[in-house]
Amino acid sequence: MKRFLTKLTFSLLLVVAGTAFLTAQKVVSGTVTDPSNGDALIGASVLVKGTQTGTITDIDGTYSLKASAGDVLVFSYTGYDDQEVAVGASNTINVSLVAGKLLDEVVVVGYGTQKEKEISSAVVRVTREDFNRGPITDAAQLLQGKVAGLQVYNRGGDPNRASTIRIRGLSTVGANVEPLVVVDGIIGASLSNLDPNDIETFDVLKDGSAAAIYGSRGSSGVIIVTTKKGSRNKDLTLTYNGQLGTSNRSRTLDIMTPSEFAAAGGSNLGFQTDWINEVTQTGITSVHGLSAEGGTEKTTYRASVNARNVDGILQSSGFDQFNTRFNLNTKRLNDKLTIDFNTSFTTKNQNFSFNEALRYAVIGNPTAPVNGADLTKYEFDEAQFGGYFEALGLFDFFNPVSIIKQNKNTGRRSEFNFGANVGYQIIDGLTANFRVANQRNGSNNRQYYSPTSLFRGNATSPIRKGRANFYNDKSDFKLLESYLTYAKSFGSAALTLTGGHSWQQSNFESSFFQVGDFPNNSIDWSNQIEASQDYANAGFISANSDASPDERIIAQFGRASLTLDDTWFVNASVRREGSSKLGPNNQWGIFPAVGVAVDLNKYLNLANVNLLKARVGYGVTGSLPRENGLAQEGRSLVNNPDGSTNTRIFRLANPDLKWEAKAETNFGIDFNTGRLSASLDIYNRVISDFILNVKVEPIGGVDRQTRNAGQLSTNGIELALDYDLIQKDNFTYNTGIVFSTYKSKLDKYVFPKEVRGNLGAPGQNGTNMILVQEGQEIGNIWGPVFDGVDDKGAPKFKDLNGDGKFVVGADKALDSLADMQVLGNGIPDFELGWKNSLTFGKWNVNAFFRGAFGHSLVNTFRAFYEPRISTQTAYNFINTSKAVDGLTAARFSSLYVEKADFVRLDNLTISRSIGNVGQLKNFNVSLTGQNLFTITGYTGADPEPALAYYGAVDNGAVEDFNNPDVLAPGIDSRNNYFVARAVTLGINFNF
Amino acid sequence: MKKLNKFYLLPLVALFFGSCTDLEEKLKGEITTDFTTPGLVVDAGGGVTDNLGGVFAELRNAGSANHGGYYSVQEISSDEMCIAAKGGDWFDGGILVELHRHTYTPTHDMVKNTWNGTYNAINTCNEFLAKAGITANETAQVRALRAYFYLRLCDSYGNVKLITAKGVDAPQSTRAQVFDFIESELLSVIGVSSVSAGMDVASSPLGTTVNNNRINVYGALGILSKLYLNAEVYKGVAKYSEAAIAADFIITKSPYKLADASFKVPNLGRRPKVADDPAELVGYAANFGANNESSPENIFTVLYDENKAGGMNFSQMGLHYSSQFTYNFSDQPWNGYATLEDFYNSYEAGDVRRKNNFLVGPQKDFGGNTILDYASDDGDPILNYTPKINELVPNSKREAGARPAKFSYKQLGRPDMSNDYPIIRLGEIYLIRGEALARKAGNWADALNDVNTIRRRAGVAEWNGSQVTAASFLAERGREMFQESARRTDLIRFGKFNDAWWEKPVSQSFRNLFPIPADAILTSGSGANPLKQNPGY
Repeated sequence: MKRFLTKLTFSLLLVVAGTAFLTAQKVVSGTVTDPSNGDALIGASVLVKGTQTGTITDIDGTYSLKASAGDVLVFSYTGYDDQEVAVGASNTINVSLVAGKLLDEVVVVGYGTQKEKEISSAVVRVTREDFNRGPITDAAQLLQGKVAGLQVYNRGGDPNRASTIRIRGLSTVGANVEPLVVVDGIIGASLSNLDPNDIETFDVLKDGSAAAIYGSRGSSGVIIVTTKKGSRNKDLTLTYNGQLGTSNRSRTLDIMTPSEFAAAGGSNLGFQTDWINEVTQTGITSVHGLSAEGGTEKTTYRASVNARNVDGILQSSGFDQFNTRFNLNTKRLNDKLTIDFNTSFTTKNQNFSFNEALRYAVIGNPTAPVNGADLTKYEFDEAQFGGYFEALGLFDFFNPVSIIKQNKNTGRRSEFNFGANVGYQIIDGLTANFRVANQRNGSNNRQYYSPTSLFRGNATSPIRKGRANFYNDKSDFKLLESYLTYAKSFGSAALTLTGGHSWQQSNFESSFFQVGDFPNNSIDWSNQIEASQDYANAGFISANSDASPDERIIAQFGRASLTLDDTWFVNASVRREGSSKLGPNNQWGIFPAVGVAVDLNKYLNLANVNLLKARVGYGVTGSLPRENGLAQEGRSLVNNPDGSTNTRIFRLANPDLKWEAKAETNFGIDFNTGRLSASLDIYNRVISDFILNVKVEPIGGVDRQTRNAGQLSTNGIELALDYDLIQKDNFTYNTGIVFSTYKSKLDKYVFPKEVRGNLGAPGQNGTNMILVQEGQEIGNIWGPVFDGVDDKGAPKFKDLNGDGKFVVGADKALDSLADMQVLGNGIPDFELGWKNSLTFGKWNVNAFFRGAFGHSLVNTFRAFYEPRISTQTAYNFINTSKAVDGLTAARFSSLYVEKADFVRLDNLTISRSIGNVGQLKNFNVSLTGQNLFTITGYTGADPEPALAYYGAVDNGAVEDFNNPDVLAPGIDSRNNYFVARAVTLGINFNF
Repeated sequence: MKKLNKFYLLPLVALFFGSCTDLEEKLKGEITTDFTTPGLVVDAGGGVTDNLGGVFAELRNAGSANHGGYYSVQEISSDEMCIAAKGGDWFDGGILVELHRHTYTPTHDMVKNTWNGTYNAINTCNEFLAKAGITANETAQVRALRAYFYLRLCDSYGNVKLITAKGVDAPQSTRAQVFDFIESELLSVIGVSSVSAGMDVASSPLGTTVNNNRINVYGALGILSKLYLNAEVYKGVAKYSEAAIAADFIITKSPYKLADASFKVPNLGRRPKVADDPAELVGYAANFGANNESSPENIFTVLYDENKAGGMNFSQMGLHYSSQFTYNFSDQPWNGYATLEDFYNSYEAGDVRRKNNFLVGPQKDFGGNTILDYASDDGDPILNYTPKINELVPNSKREAGARPAKFSYKQLGRPDMSNDYPIIRLGEIYLIRGEALARKAGNWADALNDVNTIRRRAGVAEWNGSQVTAASFLAERGREMFQESARRTDLIRFGKFNDAWWEKPVSQSFRNLFPIPADAILTSGSGANPLKQNPGY
């Protein structure tokens, strides 16, 4: 019946076509196939060139239309190269379309799509086949190293921590440094609820002229994600994708063995303990993904479920994620009405474990026992510590095994998204679009510290032991957008106009409470908090709650795109946007952009060159602050012992607070010969009016105020090359590099200079290591230069200015006579990604190397624990090749600043296509190795750049990931995960 | 276009121009306007309701007894306390060594914290004074409190801005002008134009009700007597006569008495199994205990409470990690502050203040067992505080130095202690009167009576007239006032602050003022009243 209906449709088409043409015509028919597997291509377009006449292939890949001899038929199919065939004597034209890189590939830009050729800004599309493989824990990792100028770093590789993402380096100083993520048109979506298996493409908008349509949140760049959709006229197809992998720690720090430690004067308790072994594990990762997709002529759908179980290399760390996603797209009312639904639901159970265990494993006394009962040389009350040994009289040390075995640190997160887009073609060329979206997230985190845990459990307290923390938050994001698109051709010119309105609201609320004092270890008391003795003594209970205001963004926007002679491409856009976060006097901003591109080859007519495009774009984008309320006076409530209350100012109002602005000019060249494609971008960006918490005179009650100040300029070059080196029937080799470099200079700041990035306790508080100075680069590591050891074992420093005085105290860092200099820079000089893809018959090998060069890191472990301090003999000593004999005092200097250039084999995948196995089609098996080796001179655990600093954290304090100091890159903090090496087996097939 | 409106604008109107299209930021989780609710203050008169709890809380916020601000800069720059660098621990970029050796600079963090904390406190006073509906007594107390904060600035920085309204800038005043402001404010609230033996303070809105967490007329006179005692330093004009009159007025007219053998409180730090631990704290010791609020000696104190009025962290700051087991502290201490050996040795063996003010020797836990430190650096795991400190930097032994314990620790103590911290107490008022009389007469024997009053209570032999000298008086004052943030000011007044002492060379006289913080100079630079740095920095 279906077949009959299809044929009837075709017949009707023929009739229509037949009446439209008066010339003598004949019926041409044939099949369109993919030569790689002989599959029919369903829904491929067949068009008589220069006319409106055409059809599409049916579910057998066949077509039939009327054409005259001499006509040229154009066959096209998304993802394949177009092919033109002249109609000759034969009535049958069978065509094999070759999958290829289409110059006319459609790229998603804000509020619409454009052909790649028409783009005048720096936009890079990354498609599925280029994604990183292996046990990916967050969607951003798919992109690591793939886009020139896009930095994705997850230092150490903690599976529970989102990657740091930067486009073209630091794009904002006081505001949100992470790019804006747009998923299927929904602005401000999160990458965390996307399963990597559901992603079809990323479009990365790198420059201001591309991102300006997103206005006050576009400064950090925009990552547009398109999820997989069903295909038209395709029967239901199921796809299974499975992975099973193991990961092990690959690099740690060099520390002393028990015998070395004893020989170096360490406090010898007589045991041999490898603390790092005690707290790490082989992590097992398994992923199962199942999707169903298909479609009719008018409607396509795709549903998927993904289950992801990831164990980290730290014992008991990892997560379970379950994700479902559904997309439905349909056309109605003679195809004038299009409706797209998408919805997803994600739950994630996380076991954060305690990264502190890794830190304390590094510095744990290797001669101390794990269990207290083993210590017989001295009395020890192990029962108080759940059987574990604790060194007790030592600042900032806890038995790492006890930390992870006795305590719990878990979280549950759920994310729900719903989006619908309704498009209606009002008249020919004029389409209206309405979009509504809602995203709801909730987290529920819990920490339980056992009454016998010294680490945060107060095991040494006689009465108040144990602690339970409860944290809940909920966030809600709503989006309503409507826009009109009008497209019209005038001879050889084509104009597209888009204009619309956007309304967004975010709400957030959280609550936290903490109770403690549990009687013993008989159960996990976080499940029965009424047992807490803190109820009897309410002053110990800690509770807080918060709710955000209605955080609103309202915008109007418009864009015009003009194409002339298929050669000149002009794009201009403007967005007017207001935010509730800004001061009432400056809530609204205007963000314009303009860009021009020209296909030079239309004039040069170079042989074998498909495209030689030059483009230039300029755009202004903004950034909003992370926090609410910065424009208003803030007061904290004080409860006094006499029962009185009062308020105390903690934040001064600033009604003039405005968005941080970025103006960016981008010049680019795209070159394509079919086998070789190259893209070069040169840019300049100037960020001004940083939203900064600025020091002010304390005469108004507080010495800080949020103000706009400062200017940062960045110049950069990005190059992407892709070359099909070998293209033989049975053997292909494709290789490519992405290269990026940039320099950021601080033109203006609130002060001529300051130092940031405190090294911290023990003993190195007030030791700020990163110089922030007007006229200088960002990320300069600043300090005295090590010059040997004096007779007391203290470090000597160089008298750099030769004045005979040694001005090296940490608080003298800004002194004009200071004997300090730039010791390195935390930002890489350049970064490189090198991809290699070999196909040999049914075998495919992908190797991806990645490197960053020219950056330095402060190795903080060494700075604290490498000197053989005679009064600090109960921590293990770090023992790298850079250790200095006789040095017995820890003091920050050039000694601890190391070059951290590295090259890493990020990803090696060997896969084999097996074909059909029984009922299973397109069976494919792959083996992936991640992080197989790293070449670096850095002695720390991980040479990846540290782009932000989260402060010194010690003695069990909790690290705050919400406040990265982006002006203090280059510090390899002690609270880091260890890098893992992973091997993963993957299979996928359809059925 | 009409058709277009139907299709597009109508839904647009419906969707977007409803009730929620404004951009006003209505904060839900924060307070943005000031308010005060009164509290009940129990005092000798039975109790009053006042609004001053929050203003007096500024004494805690301004770093009176915690690490990193006013207390730290006063104590560590003097010869009574230091923080030695213990290997990697407590070096902190050298700023503690700088305080000890008087090489501090305008960027010194604690010098900055002291400045900011004091000005923030002054702002709270200014905001309070601008409120409507406050009583004359409240106004007078807050003016006196603000004058006290300016006394701290006058003493530490000298040339500062006199800010008297929130956010209203003022030019930098000279130290003499700051002195005059403090004097006139205090005289005004005391209700006299000058101090005299027969002055009538009955009209003072401050009143005479005893409440040592508030300022009555005697508290204000105590602050004034401190100001006058240092007038020669602050203004270059001696006011010893006025200092003596103000102090004498308190001693003779007020109800306060020295905490002597008749004042006892339970010893909250007692370990039942340690025989040396007394059941009660008596006299001097009781005056500084965790339950010292009823002491007859304290005229004006900073209220501290482990629960509702935190900010006194001496147990954390001074004790070795493992002293946690002596007192069953809820948190591990930090092993920072210790007493200089020479200062410790200035006490006679029988001085009750030596026993009270320090922890020395092998330490025992709650059960009476010796405390073992499994991370010990001297090969002997027994925790033993030695008065001798081997060196200031870089490798002081972790157990070196007698530990401050004047504000005695209690069992089950929290990081925040409950001992009220005296700003004005009668013991010091005796010393002020004695010193002022002696300086006025140019004869130290004139201080004999008052100094012997203090020595009697300390259980040491009384002196005869020839035993009182400037040096011996200063030493006696040091022993009595240890840990009360008085030593630096005293050393300056006695001309000894620039002398050499253990691990400290002779320093230049400009060090008698701290530098104006670099941040203050920088941030004032863009305004109408840029601050000028103190000479020498």
